Amino acid sequence: MREILILTGVALWIWLFSLPAFPQSEYEFDLAEIEREIEKKPYSIGGFLEFEPILFGLDRDAALYRLKFLGRDEGSTVEQYNLGLRLEGSYQEDKVGIYFRTDGLLRYDYLGWDGEIDLLEGYLSMKPSPGLTVDVGRKVTKWGKGYAWNPVSFIDRPKDPEDPQEALEGFYALTADLIKSFEGPLKTVAFTPVILPVAKDLNEDFGERDHINFAAKLYFLLWDTDLDLLFFTGGSRTTRYGFDFARNLRTNFEVHGELALITDFERKSVDTQGRLSKRESDVLSALLGIRYLTTNEITFIVEYYHNGTGFREDDAKNFYRFVDRAYQTFLVTGDILPLLQGEQLAKETFARANPMRDYIYFRASIKEPFDILYFTPAVTSIANIHDQSFLLIPELLYSPRTNLEIRFRGAFLAGTKNTEYGEKQNDYRLELRVRYFF
Amino acid sequence: MKRWFLSLLGLVLISNVALALDGEEILKKVDSNLTPESFESYRKLINVEPDGKKREYILFTIKKGNDKVASLFLSPASEKGRSTLRLGDNMWLYIPNVGRAIRITSLQSVVGGVFNNADIMRLDYHVEYTVEHIEDKGGEYLLDLKAKTGAVAYDRLKMTVDKKTVVPTKIECYAATGLLIKTLHFKEMKTFDGSITRPAVIETDSPLYEGYRSIMIFAKIKRRDLPDEAFTLNFLPRVETLR
Repeated sequence: MREILILTGVALWIWLFSLPAFPQSEYEFDLAEIEREIEKKPYSIGGFLEFEPILFGLDRDAALYRLKFLGRDEGSTVEQYNLGLRLEGSYQEDKVGIYFRTDGLLRYDYLGWDGEIDLLEGYLSMKPSPGLTVDVGRKVTKWGKGYAWNPVSFIDRPKDPEDPQEALEGFYALTADLIKSFEGPLKTVAFTPVILPVAKDLNEDFGERDHINFAAKLYFLLWDTDLDLLFFTGGSRTTRYGFDFARNLRTNFEVHGELALITDFERKSVDTQGRLSKRESDVLSALLGIRYLTTNEITFIVEYYHNGTGFREDDAKNFYRFVDRAYQTFLVTGDILPLLQGEQLAKETFARANPMRDYIYFRASIKEPFDILYFTPAVTSIANIHDQSFLLIPELLYSPRTNLEIRFRGAFLAGTKNTEYGEKQNDYRLELRVRYFF
Repeated sequence: MKRWFLSLLGLVLISNVALALDGEEILKKVDSNLTPESFESYRKLINVEPDGKKREYILFTIKKGNDKVASLFLSPASEKGRSTLRLGDNMWLYIPNVGRAIRITSLQSVVGGVFNNADIMRLDYHVEYTVEHIEDKGGEYLLDLKAKTGAVAYDRLKMTVDKKTVVPTKIECYAATGLLIKTLHFKEMKTFDGSITRPAVIETDSPLYEGYRSIMIFAKIKRRDLPDEAFTLNFLPRVETLR
């Protein structure tokens, strides 16, 4: 199967580079034709079709491998083939519009065929004036200024820091946007209130059921600085307050940050016996980051993230040692119960992305090196500061022709025993992603 | 003798001031001839590679006053919905998938190729540049322009202006080091919205991108009163609704 993956990539590359080029000539154009192209229609539909084969190199000694591949031997590598379809569209009539974005996925891996269709966003938007918009339906709010993490994003699902630019699934909410512009150092003030109900079959995965939650964001563009004050309250999650900012210190140097205070957070802890305990306390999460563009078009993004809701290093060690003991028990006695207990514990703790306290994110991308247009190589790394384990992602992104995008990347995990990236189920991952936009 | 010298010095100073004023006035006239104060426009951008391969983009742009510009990509499908906002020296890029506007810089290229953000979201020349020197070249003026601040994408411009139409025919863009970054060639005079007569085509080449060309074609320019709120970060995902 690995050969199929490699051959697919090679064949695709050859096909793309053998595409006929247009002849070298003076470009001709017809203004009337362009005018026809720009004519506005009330509706629009588009999206992309995606094929993504992935090869996972397994770490058979890791804690999360032992929990996930309980009683299965799939060898040292497993493949996964994903076929995705993104559909998005809109219909706009005067001051009212409807919008939707859906994802369809068909997957084949060692577990067989699987598939799902998700409505990422779908809402009705009313704009009685340029300074007021009201949206109702499923929507992503995406608050915060961070690239990889957003501690102040109180009403969104967390981003995947390995792929932070990917679309997320929204929650059903009623949102308004009031904007006012001024002359002088204060250029803009905008207020965004959100009402988010949680009930049976409505935003159930947001938090506790049968509550109407309220969130708000107050934005200022003051002295060329973006500033946001954010707030969330309601019974589904505890009350939280936030602040973020972004500013260009120089034209090629941007600095941004976020600060979130989460009150009465139920902080979890794992003891040496693999028992989970909870204690309420107020916690602070913060992010500080920069974006820097060099004269030769290398963009650096560096972010420090303190996750106040995360686990301590002792909790992690207790968890990994517990899984280790559970596995030894299974080998000696055949008793699978401790491993099942570990699997349940992992779901609530260390199986999610970045479950611990302090992280550094680094990304460097070079735009069109060696005069290759539409080609962007990049390298990304996420490091857990406490246990010094890390993830390294080299990446090649190329668009050989209009509406076609190819991304090839690897993800290599490094860390010693009882560390976050050392105990993940994979040692490495190779991905080829081909997207055709329409 | 002393009085004669002072008179001569005064004459030189007055003529220099007059010359400087002429240059600034010509530059303001160039700006008002290229675009009205508040307008909407549609442009096609074409990147042409040395082997003749080309890639096309269509942009909807709105502009108000001296420092407010917003642009929206209408095509191709891979870029559709991507929009940019400029408020003075502040620039943001909104990508629909990401859903969050990020701060960008004027030298970055939104779509690749020779055009960068500053070319796509250009403010009036007289807002960003002062005229340091003006030369009468018969049918043309040659204006030497210097950026007012370090935040401007090109430190110096050499602008050739046609005397009769008072629009540029050629602009050379230089970095602070004196390096020629690109040359803009203005072509194909056309009248938009009844009275805006200006070049419809700007062709760009660059010694940094040997053999590559970028062509910007104005398809429509229309005077339009726009609300200030249309030029805000919150409104950026909704620029399409202004079409």
